[in-house]
Amino acid sequence: MRGRGLMGLGFIGLLLVLVFGIDGNIRAYAAKQVVVCNWGGNSAAFEKECFYDPFEKETGIRVIMTSPPDVAKIKAQVDSGNIEWDVILTDIPAILTLTEGEKPYLEELDYSKIDPVLLAQVIPEVKQKYSLGARIYSFNIAYNTKTFKPGAHPKTWADVWDVKKFPGVRSFNNPYGGITPQYEVFLMADGVPPDKLYPIDVERAWKSIDKLKPYINKWYKSHAEAVQMLVNGETDIACTIGPRVIAEKWKGAAVDVEYNQGKLAADNWCIIKGSKNKEEAYKLINYIMDAKRQACLASKVPYGPSNREAVKYLDPKIADDLNTSPKNLAKQTWQNVRWWVEKGPDGKTNRARSIERFNQWLLK
Amino acid sequence: MSKRRFIFSPDINVLAKITRKPLFLVLPLILYMSAFYIYPLLRMFILSLFSPDLTAKHYQSFFQTPTNFYSLRVTFEISLLVTSLCLLIGYPLSYYLSTCPSRKASLLFILVLIPLWTSVLVRTYAWIVILGRNGVINQILQKSGIIEQPLKLIYNRLGLTIGMVHVMMPFMVLSLYSVMVGIDRNLLKAAQNLGASPFRAFRKIFFPLSMPGILAGCILVFIISTGFFVTPALLGGPKDLMIAMIIDQAVEVLLNWEFASAASFILLFLIITIFLISGKVVGFDKLWGKKI
Repeated sequence: MRGRGLMGLGFIGLLLVLVFGIDGNIRAYAAKQVVVCNWGGNSAAFEKECFYDPFEKETGIRVIMTSPPDVAKIKAQVDSGNIEWDVILTDIPAILTLTEGEKPYLEELDYSKIDPVLLAQVIPEVKQKYSLGARIYSFNIAYNTKTFKPGAHPKTWADVWDVKKFPGVRSFNNPYGGITPQYEVFLMADGVPPDKLYPIDVERAWKSIDKLKPYINKWYKSHAEAVQMLVNGETDIACTIGPRVIAEKWKGAAVDVEYNQGKLAADNWCIIKGSKNKEEAYKLINYIMDAKRQACLASKVPYGPSNREAVKYLDPKIADDLNTSPKNLAKQTWQNVRWWVEKGPDGKTNRARSIERFNQWLLK
Repeated sequence: MSKRRFIFSPDINVLAKITRKPLFLVLPLILYMSAFYIYPLLRMFILSLFSPDLTAKHYQSFFQTPTNFYSLRVTFEISLLVTSLCLLIGYPLSYYLSTCPSRKASLLFILVLIPLWTSVLVRTYAWIVILGRNGVINQILQKSGIIEQPLKLIYNRLGLTIGMVHVMMPFMVLSLYSVMVGIDRNLLKAAQNLGASPFRAFRKIFFPLSMPGILAGCILVFIISTGFFVTPALLGGPKDLMIAMIIDQAVEVLLNWEFASAASFILLFLIITIFLISGKVVGFDKLWGKKI
């Protein structure tokens, strides 16, 4: 009996320690922290090394990482008022989805809170209402170097459409993963010069891809699939994110990227609507837009930094492989986000309409 | 030694009476299901009907797009095919398992269960490695000179079916086995004693007695298949559009949760209808496994 009594007291004591101990910790966390939602994986580990750990050391604000930037989760958080995230790293399609409805799920960025010196260094195209470009990716011609020896690879989208000169299977994205049909690529293959792409002639784009349809062996849902297919040799040419293919090339895979006629877009920092740590979020964004820190990340993950000064701090060999190196940047065009967000007479954005049409076209 | 006293001293008989009722034991499960299953389901249903006023427009818009009909047809086609194949391959396998001595059966059972415990994504990806253009099968066939061009074994209905049958097989085998192992083999011996051939004994005695297992296995595999989309997305071609992919697109890409809810309930309604019809045709008591 006595033993039982002592055990009971001990248990209650342990419970108290846990409750107040954890409570104390939670309060310490709640004091100064910022939650970052990124794409996870290796890239996130490098971000931690180049951005978040130094940020914590210098400012004392704790950075909590989470992933991936699931659009549905963001909507659920904002709708329910139970907001867990602060800063989000995500791409334009997601940002469009989150801001094209009646109520935007992201905060309008207050550019007065960002260091003007940094802002001047950032590529102008990536400064948007709800997002600030963090790193630049691009849709490029990615190919398998076992099928196409160096130099004998397709150098333009018209080449990709030329199945006689460049035999092999091709891979493009499907609409189920949120990637839009690549109208710009279809038009460039049809001979439209890059500076005359917008406003997009939708019918011409579909006629163009109709020609290539029989030679496409897989419509992938995610870029990870596309990159893996290239590495495996399941596909010979893919229209996918060049930097991700370069990352595999750096690991020794038999793949490479042709930057000519690429389409540039940005991965962006945004702030979720109703974020609980807005001040800390802006501090973090200012910190990680710095040129030197962006160069640190770019040397590990081959995305182009959004800060133009970053290239000064990079090893020239690495800089050359990046899609924002001067020679590669000159070959590519920026995607015009504004065209995709434009609403038509039916109230739908060009993006939503293109996805619905893609759904049907794929089944024909 | 001091007598232990309860802090509260209710009538112990009343407490004992309540806690002995079967309903009391199921109560935690009922509460759990209500909170985490029934309530969210109701909310989804309300979401599909009100936006914000009572409207059937989301259900209407589902039926107005031919893509949705097509995907429903493909979903049921594929589910039916996968269920039939699982039954055809799984029945002999379960029969063999149920006749094995227990040590051997345990070992074989582990072979059936290990795929079940492996992530679906890993299993699906393994099929890409085996069936792909540069995969194991094509490499062997090409190197031995049997074929010149690689066979197209994935990114079409064939690869998709192979992958899904592999994923669903453990469910079928477990359902069948659990019933088969309880069938009294003496009945078969008695029938043969009375002059029946082994095949007749199987047809008239064993097969009917295994019906509950067949039904349970088929319903389980069919229902899971209709909602499946990882394997079809990775192994299928562009025409292998499952309804789950459309619902996923509505939730994640278009953020049209009202439509997604409507589509989900249409699917749920269809599955319940199929379940009720097949139960009526075969007899519900066979499904619940009442002893004949």
